[in-house]
Amino acid sequence: MGKRSDSDATPSVDRRRFLKGAAGGAAGAASVLVGNASDAQQAPPTARPAVARPTDADARKDFVPPEPRVGAAFIEHPGSDHMVDVLKALDFDYVAVNPGSAFEGIHESLINHGGNRKPEILTVLHEEAGAAIAHSYAKAAGKPMMTLMHGTVGLLHASMGLFHAWCDRVPVFAVVGQPRNPTSVINRPHSAQDMGSIVRDFMKMDDEPTRLDVFAGIAMRAYTIGRTPPMGPTLLVVDSELQEAAIPNGMSLPIPKVILPAVPQGETGAVREAAKWLASAERPLIRPGKLGRTPAGWDLLLELAELLQSPVDVGTYGSWQDFPSWHALYGSGGADYKPDVILGLELNDMVPSVRQTHATGGKTISICAEYLSQGHNIHDYGSYTDVDLAIAADAEATLPSLIEEIRRQSPRDAARARTARRTQVAAAHKAVHEREIDDARYGWNASPISVPRMITELGRQIQNDDWAIVSGHQFTGQWQRRLLNHDKHYRYNGDSGGFGIGYDTPASVGGALAHKAHGRLSIGIVGDGDFNFVGAGALWTAAHHKIPLLLIIHNNRAYHAEVMLVQRTAARRGRGNDKVDIGNVIREPAPDYAKIAQGYGVYAEGPISDPNALAPALERALARVRAGEPALLDVVSQPR
Amino acid sequence: MKLRKLAHASLLPSIALGLFVVVTPSPAQQSAGSAPVGNAERGKQLFSDTYNCYACHGFDAQTGERRLVPMKYPLEGFITFVQNSPLPNMPAMPDASAQTLADIWAYLNTIPVDAPALNDLPLLRDVLARRNQASGGK
Repeated sequence: MGKRSDSDATPSVDRRRFLKGAAGGAAGAASVLVGNASDAQQAPPTARPAVARPTDADARKDFVPPEPRVGAAFIEHPGSDHMVDVLKALDFDYVAVNPGSAFEGIHESLINHGGNRKPEILTVLHEEAGAAIAHSYAKAAGKPMMTLMHGTVGLLHASMGLFHAWCDRVPVFAVVGQPRNPTSVINRPHSAQDMGSIVRDFMKMDDEPTRLDVFAGIAMRAYTIGRTPPMGPTLLVVDSELQEAAIPNGMSLPIPKVILPAVPQGETGAVREAAKWLASAERPLIRPGKLGRTPAGWDLLLELAELLQSPVDVGTYGSWQDFPSWHALYGSGGADYKPDVILGLELNDMVPSVRQTHATGGKTISICAEYLSQGHNIHDYGSYTDVDLAIAADAEATLPSLIEEIRRQSPRDAARARTARRTQVAAAHKAVHEREIDDARYGWNASPISVPRMITELGRQIQNDDWAIVSGHQFTGQWQRRLLNHDKHYRYNGDSGGFGIGYDTPASVGGALAHKAHGRLSIGIVGDGDFNFVGAGALWTAAHHKIPLLLIIHNNRAYHAEVMLVQRTAARRGRGNDKVDIGNVIREPAPDYAKIAQGYGVYAEGPISDPNALAPALERALARVRAGEPALLDVVSQPR
Repeated sequence: MKLRKLAHASLLPSIALGLFVVVTPSPAQQSAGSAPVGNAERGKQLFSDTYNCYACHGFDAQTGERRLVPMKYPLEGFITFVQNSPLPNMPAMPDASAQTLADIWAYLNTIPVDAPALNDLPLLRDVLARRNQASGGK
């Protein structure tokens, strides 16, 4: 892998010689390892070793095999060992790695100093897959995962995955190596004056420690900022020379404790007012967004909904754990239910709710950590709208006081009215459920296989397992929620947040990795379009690390949403629809996903077009997954 | 080819505010008889290849949004709707001729309905029963 080789051995020796000198002398050590208290956050300009500018002859040398670094100084305690000690203090279980010379120091320390345990290296074949795995793992495990990348090129590959984590408000602890003062033709493009700027538009923070004595503090800061709502990915840029810096014997670099700040709750007066409106509402409606930061969020939403007997409308793209999908209150209350108070919980787009209530004279309340978010470039925060009561706070943290206040302010006869409301709402939802089941019958024996048939067959076979859907459901419509009982907070891990293709397959691996610790059966249902991005390589990661996961390819052999979009445009322009499949279909040849998976060492069957062949194939594949390995089924499916 | 032309002549859908509105046609309208006769074979090719209707409605026109089998609308209403659709997810196709749409309509009427009764689908019946049980709890 040429892009990952630092073939310029001589300057490295020089750097090591310099660093050895720095470590040997108090003044040198002061410049790389520890600073004065007054300049603890600043790098002294003299900290950089002087390296001769490379000549053309040097450049030519880059293309021959590197000399062994026999002359390199022996470093007993390299800086990267300290970095790994800090990572251990952050309690990471895994780090996604696609190797690169910019972090070879940390890589070696993870293996030999850290014993490849906590964090354990998860080998990924593409940095985007690594970021998606870390993103999904964080949602399923409730704690961040780390991903380690090569300078510029690795970070650019990862940028799509980090973008999704940003849009989904999920912490990912990203670390990128920075080849400081590169002298090789190959590694110069892997260094940057401002590495963090590459992804800064969608990171909560980025920083580059310039001395080892500040590394731990900056790493802790990145970790805690990432986990503080609104959460998000953070980036640490790690100088390659800092990784190689020698720590003198006897020198102890302190590692502070991880202190996660208590998250902000809603202001007392505002919470009282919200409670007053909700307690006296005749037709309340709850709309959760990215509410379930922890399993407690699921429990609290359930408690609130049942206290008010209010319907809970998770919307089309409800993310993370939200609300039990077969609960009597799951839904919008029915066509005749005109809410007089709508409560948005971590819902960053209140426009439809405001429009709905303004039309009927109702009110809207929004409790959302997004109000605390600093400005950024990506337009993923919804439009401004004049909600009647906006509370800048973490909704999950605010729910206990809101629930308590609603209990306190509820009229004496509230229970009777609420019971009646529940009866009415449950009846409306039951009618909806029955229509949905009726709809699921259509195309039951069709080939290609209908999506409801596929999910019903799956549901039948996993009903006695402790299962989790670790992909999103963007491309299977609402069928997952309709036909599978999402009765636990971990049953569904949510979509990407950014609606980019390529997340679901590696995310399935990340979610399955988190659920493996609990013995849960993980299933990903991913589009063929999604799988074709970085999915196949992610499957290899699952095979290599023995991550049990059933991956079902919802193979409709096209980007069907886009067929409709081009169709709409062509029709509007009066140009006919006979060519709209150009650029939108994945046929001729149709990829054989089972063969691809088998090539990566994964048990696979398909293409499966006969609906009657699906159940036995599921049975065989699930047996493999229950035994601890990944498996893939390529199911040729209806477009919708 | 089995045509059910004007089989639903007692109902004539028209479009208002983006929804099908059912009105009763006058006797004159019912007897106009001006709708073209469709060719189902040509309609199949139009549905699958030329207009790519399958992308949203499913290969058999009954798994997507909206379901077109069984066809609920009489030919005139179908033509009017497709040419003037106000729905955001259904492109209006003013360039599709009445003959073209009659062909598609004829094809849609030849597709057998694949929807076994719930009693014959134990898997789905079980889902409904478990769902009702889950919804019935507190």
